[in-house]
Amino acid sequence: MIEICNLTKSYGNKKAVDDITFTVEKGEILGFLGPNGAGKSTTMNILTGYISSTSGSVKVDGFDILEEPNEVKKRIGYLPEQPPLYMDMVVSDYLNFVYDLKKLNKAEKLKHIQDIVDIVGIDDVKSRKIGNLSKGYKQRVGLAQALLGNPEVLILDEPTVGLDPKQIIEIRNVIKELGKERTIILSSHILPEVSAVCERVIIINKGKLVAEDTPQNLSHRFTQNSKLQIRVMGNQSDIIDVLKTVPGVKSIVVLGQKETDSFDFEIETTVPLDAEFSKQLFMLCAQKQMPILMQKEIAASLEDIFIHLTATDSQIKQEPYAEENENSGGETDDSDI
Amino acid sequence: MTAIFKREFRAYFHSMLGYVFLTIFILLSGVMFLLSNIFSATSSMNGYFASMISWAIFILPILTMRLFSEDKKLKTDQLLLTAPISITEMVVGKYLAAVGTFLVGMAITLLYPLAMSFYGNVPVAETTSSYVGFILFSGGIISIGAFMSSLTESQIVAAISTYGVVILTMFLDMMSSHVKNAMISKILLWISPFDRFDDFTLGVLNIEAIVYYITIIAIFLFLTVRVFEKKRWS
Repeated sequence: MIEICNLTKSYGNKKAVDDITFTVEKGEILGFLGPNGAGKSTTMNILTGYISSTSGSVKVDGFDILEEPNEVKKRIGYLPEQPPLYMDMVVSDYLNFVYDLKKLNKAEKLKHIQDIVDIVGIDDVKSRKIGNLSKGYKQRVGLAQALLGNPEVLILDEPTVGLDPKQIIEIRNVIKELGKERTIILSSHILPEVSAVCERVIIINKGKLVAEDTPQNLSHRFTQNSKLQIRVMGNQSDIIDVLKTVPGVKSIVVLGQKETDSFDFEIETTVPLDAEFSKQLFMLCAQKQMPILMQKEIAASLEDIFIHLTATDSQIKQEPYAEENENSGGETDDSDI
Repeated sequence: MTAIFKREFRAYFHSMLGYVFLTIFILLSGVMFLLSNIFSATSSMNGYFASMISWAIFILPILTMRLFSEDKKLKTDQLLLTAPISITEMVVGKYLAAVGTFLVGMAITLLYPLAMSFYGNVPVAETTSSYVGFILFSGGIISIGAFMSSLTESQIVAAISTYGVVILTMFLDMMSSHVKNAMISKILLWISPFDRFDDFTLGVLNIEAIVYYITIIAIFLFLTVRVFEKKRWS
């Protein structure tokens, strides 16, 4: 659906976007992740035809943004970082204007606008002046504007920025719902957001593409060995004896007593943490009357990966796994930032 | 284009700008009418238009200063430039909205010749051609203002630079009479928008002058389009 090829944008000597290539399939929700100033907004502005690229090409549904800009623009709904709202207009007038601007079918106008208004939940502020709305509602009006005309591609630049937690969840749900039929590119510097809604993540830093995968794969990739945290009831040394008999266990670290009569351990394994491994672990403990009270897989969180990938220190980049494992307990080591 | 035009035209009256413009416009034109027609007891509007033309250049930039710069500042240009419309449509739509607001003021001034027609003979040909000429002249000034507004995101800078350009053209007539070289003097007079206006007050619809003003409008609208195209291609 979207093909971006060797995209570069220079401002003087500074490269805001540096040779980025990726594609987005139809119906996919792609997360676009990067620290502030990484080039996310610039890439999105080029994609939507707002600014030009220095070199490289952008194709949407087979149409080139430079050669057939109107064909591309027709297919894209864009919510820029700052919603493009006219503060002196009433919400419904504004949506009417955008509807006409997008040259959509006049006959379905009222019904379509009402549908969108219901989706983003701005029915109760329809007749209010945009300038008087709260930030959350302005963001929703911006989203409504992007949704008008049911474009096949939605490009949302930090859609939840400045919203309260409840609104964030609502907007995320809206995006997930929309993503069932549309191609969405969503930028963010908030990691849980991306992992919550996106099927695939692209991480860029200083204009360069540094990683591209599913949120799950990204976290697997950066945890070389599988780690498991378990809490077992019983005597510490007895438990260790049992755990040692489980096939595939490489090392056991005692994490201490966190609940009465039980101990926590971190197990590193040489085999994948699949159902087979869990079954054996459970059976062996059960035989010795040692109930497993808790079991959880320790994967590198997206925060770890993100900090890792975008770290300025080149040393860290060269030996990723060794460094990563030190921090993979879920807690982020702040000294890396 | 109609969507842009409708929004921009309404925007003048959603904000104070349209009302401020019309108030000043009608107030000034009323004073001019009083001075040049009522007090002078004449139904010829030549004097009226002669003074209007030197006043208009000071109030027309009020209409144009926000035309593009406001969009740049509020980032609403992102909406316009990513919508499936051409840049020409956007520029012309906005331009026509400014002209439309100006024409509302002009329509109100039609009351003056109308009122005079009850008490005397209004020279129809001269008055009509003066109106046509004045509208063309103002259209030119508005296109210059539109271009200046597309260059900056500050409305103040847009207004002041428009004043600069327009006031400079005011002196073209004066400069041409001081220049010794006949050729240069002729060129200066030829590009002066003020000199061209004289024919209209005599009741002559001079094709050359009409083409001249339309060309001015076309050139500055074209340049405005280029400003946005450049951004897209740079």
